[in-house]
Parts: sequence; structure tokens; C-alpha cells
Amino acid sequence: MELTLFVIFGAVAVASAFMVIVSRNPVVSALFLILTFFCLAGLYVLLNAQFIAALQIIVYAGAIMVLFVFVVMLLRTGKEARRGYRLIFQKSIGIIFVVLFLLLLGSITLMVSVTGMRGPYTAEAVRHIGNTQAFASVLFTDYLYPFEIISVLLLAGIIGAVVLAKRKR
Amino acid sequence: MVPLSYYLLLSAVLFSIGAVGVLIRRNVLIMFMSIELMLNAVNLSFVAFSRFLDSLEGQVFVFLVMAVAAAEVAVGLAIIICIFRNKATVNVDEINLMKG
Amino acid sequence: MPIDFLPILILLILSALMSGGMVFLSHLFGRKEPNPSKLSPYECGIPPVGDARLRFSVKFFVVAMLFIIFDFEGVTIYPWAVIFRKLHLFGLVEMGVFLGVLLIGLVYIWRKGALQWD
Repeated sequence: MELTLFVIFGAVAVASAFMVIVSRNPVVSALFLILTFFCLAGLYVLLNAQFIAALQIIVYAGAIMVLFVFVVMLLRTGKEARRGYRLIFQKSIGIIFVVLFLLLLGSITLMVSVTGMRGPYTAEAVRHIGNTQAFASVLFTDYLYPFEIISVLLLAGIIGAVVLAKRKR
Repeated sequence: MVPLSYYLLLSAVLFSIGAVGVLIRRNVLIMFMSIELMLNAVNLSFVAFSRFLDSLEGQVFVFLVMAVAAAEVAVGLAIIICIFRNKATVNVDEINLMKG
Repeated sequence: MPIDFLPILILLILSALMSGGMVFLSHLFGRKEPNPSKLSPYECGIPPVGDARLRFSVKFFVVAMLFIIFDFEGVTIYPWAVIFRKLHLFGLVEMGVFLGVLLIGLVYIWRKGALQWD
């Protein structure tokens, strides 16, 4: 059951990620990217990270894609002039290196077994206290400082975006 | 239970698709979407490690990555709009001057 | 537990099947007799001028962009709220600092006039 769901979600995620980079129309790319995000949310649920799955839907599939679709609409230029850059050399070299990179990552994944210090949050323990509660108690105590830094980062994001995008009067 | 290596392989495949997207596409919006794809692939391996090492640190990192992605998307798309206002193109090969 | 999410999965599958099935069935059984006046956007009325895909104003974008930032801020309050009682005053101060820094951002965009529509 779990393996079946993993295969379905994974296959749809890979297929739609592929469609994101091959489709000519940016709106189609954005919609396929939403599908990829939904599949990843499904995988997070399978991995027992329900809060992250909800976050994935709310933040990525909700907010970020709204922004992408807005920008695609904003930048629509009708017929986009096709210039003569073909970049065959760059594209073929790029694809070759990415395939090599993928082989490297895959071989590392298959050959090396993961070892590491195990934490206290087994599936049983997390089910007992609840996923969101466990996540929150880690985030708001051990990771207090990174959490506060997020607010500064978001502040920088707000100011940067307003300064860049707002038309001067 | 699905083995950890399956999740890591899926994550590697998604990351590679994102990298290919950045390399072969010249539309700056699609390059940006490919970057989001790569961030998500890394998030998937973080969550998988968090599950298989019985620790919640991976999920906290995903939370931080999402915050970075939100701020990055806002600023990055604002930069794209600025470029479009000045040069009326979304093709990165035509954005080849350091000044305006 | 993942099994708790099974109803959501079933709901998603059902909604996809229903919406996809309706489109497919009407495509399969519908009568297709196109003629020029049927294919025009308004069967009676003025003929359309120009492209339907107008460019949106940048104002929409500024609002959408501020939405994702404050959307994330809202999302951070969820996990805080579920363990608020456990953290007591410490949690309140912690979240107060977080929201305070973002309040500076809100004041900034307010003063900058980015929320004004005209």
C-alpha cells in the first residue's frame, strides 16, 4: 500500500517536473509545478510529516504559485520575439553533466548506508504527542534563534520587493 | 515501509530535472521555477532523513527552507519585473549588460 | 498517521474523476456542429477587439508578493498556538519579537504607500 502510493506520487512528481521544464508556455509550466508540489505533499504525509505537508500546500502550492501565475500574466508580451540563440553546445554539455551528476548521486545513495545518531522522535512517540506538537516543541526551544532570524529574513524580503517593484512617482 | 534510498533517489531525480531546467531554458521565469523544484527536491530528502533517523531536525530545516523560498521568490520576481520594465524581455541571453 | 489522510486522498481522487469525467463525457457524447457565429466569443453583440490576455497591472503583483510573506507569518503561528500553554511567558515573548520585527515591515510598506490601490 505504502509502496504503491510512493510509486504513484513519485511517478507523477517526476513526470510533471519534466513537463515544467519542457513546456513552451510558462502558464502550463506553473500549473505542472503546482502538481509537483501536491505530489510532494503526498510524499510528506507518507513520511509521517503531516505538518510539513500542510505547509507545502499552504505556502508553496498556495502562495508561491499565486505569485508565479501573477507574474506570468504580468509579463505576457503576446508574441515573444524568438532570437537566434540556439545554444546547442551549452544544452548538450549541460544535459551530459547533469546525467553524470545524477549517476553520482544515485550510486552514492545505493552504495552508502545511512548511519547517524537516532533522535527520540520515533513514529510511535510522534503519534503519541502529535506531529505538530512535536515539531513545535523542537522549533520553539532548540531552534529559537533560527526562528527569530526568519523574521529578519522576511523583513528583508518585504523591503526588497517593495523597493524593487514599486513604481516611483 | 519504503526504504530511504527510494526517497533519496526520487529527490536526486527531481533535483537533476531542476538543474537541467536551469541549464537548457532561457526563459527567466522557467529558470526560477526550476530553482524552486531543486529546493523542493532537497526538502524531500530532509524529510526522508528526519523520518528514518527518528528526529525532527529535518522538518525544522524544511520550515527554514520554506521561509527562505518565500522571501527569495518575492525578491526574485520583483527583480524579474524590474528587468522586464527596463528591457521588455524575459530571455536571460538578452540581459547581458551590467548597467540598465 | 498517514492512514488518517486516506479520506483526503479519496476525496481528491473522486473530485479529479468527477471533473475530468464530466469534461470527457461531454466531449464524447456532445454534438459538434461548429459554425462561425457559434465559435465567436459573443454570439450576439459587438465583435471582440484585441487579445483576451491583457497584461495585469503591477499593483496586483505587489499585493500578491506581500501576501506570501504574511502568509508564511500566519503559518508560523499555527505550531506556536498548539504548544502555547507549554511555553508560557517564554513563548509569548518569543512570538512577540517575531511579530514585532514583521510589524516593522508592515509599518514600512504602509508608510511607503504600497498598500494604496490608486
